[in-house]
Amino acid sequence: MQADRRRINAPSGGTAPPIFATPKDTPLRRPTRTRKPDEHRKLFLRTGVVPSASGSAYYEIPLQSPQQPELLVPSSSSLKITCSVHGPRPLPRNAAFSPNLLLTTHVKFAPFATRNRRGYMRDAGERDLGMHLETALRGVIIGERWPKSGCEVVITVLEGEEDGWWGDAGGQEGGRAGGWGMMGVLAGCITVASAALVDAGIDCVDMVSGGVAALVQDGQDGTKVGGEAKIILDPSPSEHQNIRAGCVVGYLQSRDEVTEMWMKGDAGTQVEALVDEAVKAASLTRTVLAEAVREAMGLKMGKASEEATGGLKEDKGKKKDVVMTG
Amino acid sequence: MANGSPTAPGISFPRQTFAKLTPGPFLHAHLKQQEPIRASGRSPEDFRKPNINTGSLTHSNGSAVVRVGDTAIVCGVRAEILLASDIPHPPRDDLHEDDLVEDLGLLVPNLELSTGCSPAHLPGSAPGTLAQSLSYRILSLINASNLVRPSDLAVLYTEPQTEDDTPAEEASKVTKAYWTLYIDILCIALDGNPFDAAWAAVIAALQNTLLPKAWWDPDREAVLCSPLAADARQLQLNDVPIASTFAVFSTASPLKRRNEFDSWILADPDSFEEDLCKESLTIVVASKKASCGGILRLEKTGGSVIGKVSMQQCVRMAEDRWSEWKAVMGG
Repeated sequence: MQADRRRINAPSGGTAPPIFATPKDTPLRRPTRTRKPDEHRKLFLRTGVVPSASGSAYYEIPLQSPQQPELLVPSSSSLKITCSVHGPRPLPRNAAFSPNLLLTTHVKFAPFATRNRRGYMRDAGERDLGMHLETALRGVIIGERWPKSGCEVVITVLEGEEDGWWGDAGGQEGGRAGGWGMMGVLAGCITVASAALVDAGIDCVDMVSGGVAALVQDGQDGTKVGGEAKIILDPSPSEHQNIRAGCVVGYLQSRDEVTEMWMKGDAGTQVEALVDEAVKAASLTRTVLAEAVREAMGLKMGKASEEATGGLKEDKGKKKDVVMTG
Repeated sequence: MANGSPTAPGISFPRQTFAKLTPGPFLHAHLKQQEPIRASGRSPEDFRKPNINTGSLTHSNGSAVVRVGDTAIVCGVRAEILLASDIPHPPRDDLHEDDLVEDLGLLVPNLELSTGCSPAHLPGSAPGTLAQSLSYRILSLINASNLVRPSDLAVLYTEPQTEDDTPAEEASKVTKAYWTLYIDILCIALDGNPFDAAWAAVIAALQNTLLPKAWWDPDREAVLCSPLAADARQLQLNDVPIASTFAVFSTASPLKRRNEFDSWILADPDSFEEDLCKESLTIVVASKKASCGGILRLEKTGGSVIGKVSMQQCVRMAEDRWSEWKAVMGG
């Protein structure tokens, strides 16, 4: 690996992730899906986590299935995404005139986000996610209201979903097409970016929410063969041995429009059913999104009215008015 | 005015307007009162209350999230194996044990500011001067404070006795590999004073780190680890040093005479105050041992306002802050 001159580098010998031996007495239990096929995992969404940004939000899907506490290696991971929106800002002077708001999206996985440590440079997968996110958000922002301005949406994934169960041979691929973890991350990114945009007060047509669905064909007792293909929403890739196809949509519920759709794999004849299921997942996340945004707005209105009547009763230090001379 | 009318009544603006238009005089007007107070409502000696949350990241050996006011920093520690046979320049035999960690580069901290934590730190560019200097300061402080013993990071292998050795001879222990700890620090929200919060996050994450039990397998010629949590051991730190930063706001200007200025020392500056202060002081305090007083590092840059007397006051404040952090971290 090239030495990055601007960062502190690894020791020159090169390091490798630890190799774990199979434990003799403790059997490894694969996590299984206990929810119904159309049930979403519990979501946690909060806005206003970065006060210096125009708008920000934090999204988390906590760990669902009980982990094996006797094992050091976690069997599945939660999803933690934080987003900050900076804008609308004026474009630099040498930029060309743009009649619409120039949206720039940036997605980055933290080095500790996945089972194998990632580097600090953005790789192709992250740039691809950024492009998909931009497609999803461009359809919902009213760009004409902000000429000559730019808006930066920055997403940091603190913990990402995996592509498959680590105990599977070649578990990092998890199915023919692979990369299922990224689809779950994209759905989360769309939702959290939408919450951050609302927090920043950028004009939008509606709130876009992300939903993901998959077509799985798990066999009985952990084998790949047999089993019927069924469509589930909000898949956790480590719970399935054989994911045949997956689909992410960015959906506007009140207008019944889809701003972004990404499908991977071979869905055969069930393409439309898969997309419908993803749209259902997006509607479910939208209820959480609306609730979080309403709560945040309520707090903001409360604070604004307090300031207007002149009674800031914060106990962390009263800001006193001073006389400025000169 | 021209025809002798009385002076117009003063105009009043909301606070944010003054803060944006004339930040320097705004802060000065607050500090020069009878009871000096800062723009945020804190008094000049008040530090912000810290908040630590450890162990929330599943893929790290240790992790911590530190919130000091509006500054939020996440730190994750990842352990990887460095084989002794891969080290290009093995350490000299006469190297002191304390220097081994630094020589091999076994602790690798990196602070990432370009995460959109503030409008000045947007992603898309390589780390700038501030991020690079903070990473380097953290690295040098880790090396100077001897936090981790090299014996905690070594994977030893007892060579089996061969026919040549006499039975009375002790089996020799060879270090076959070392654990390398990647300390990745991400700034989620920045409101001034990233160094203190980042350093506290590093300490909390290292305290929280669990290293799996590792052994050298001679048949496979590789290091294997046990995935059982019962075999893992917590990393023990030698000490818990804590950093406290102070900024100096002074009204000195080239237009005035040299000794005609007022100055105030502000503890734990936020980003509004950091922009206005040129001089800053960082004191790193460790536990008091028998012979040494407990100050690990003193860094002062940017000006000459702080003298010996104010330095002593700052050291006292830093020691109080050390007790406060120690209580939050749980000893």
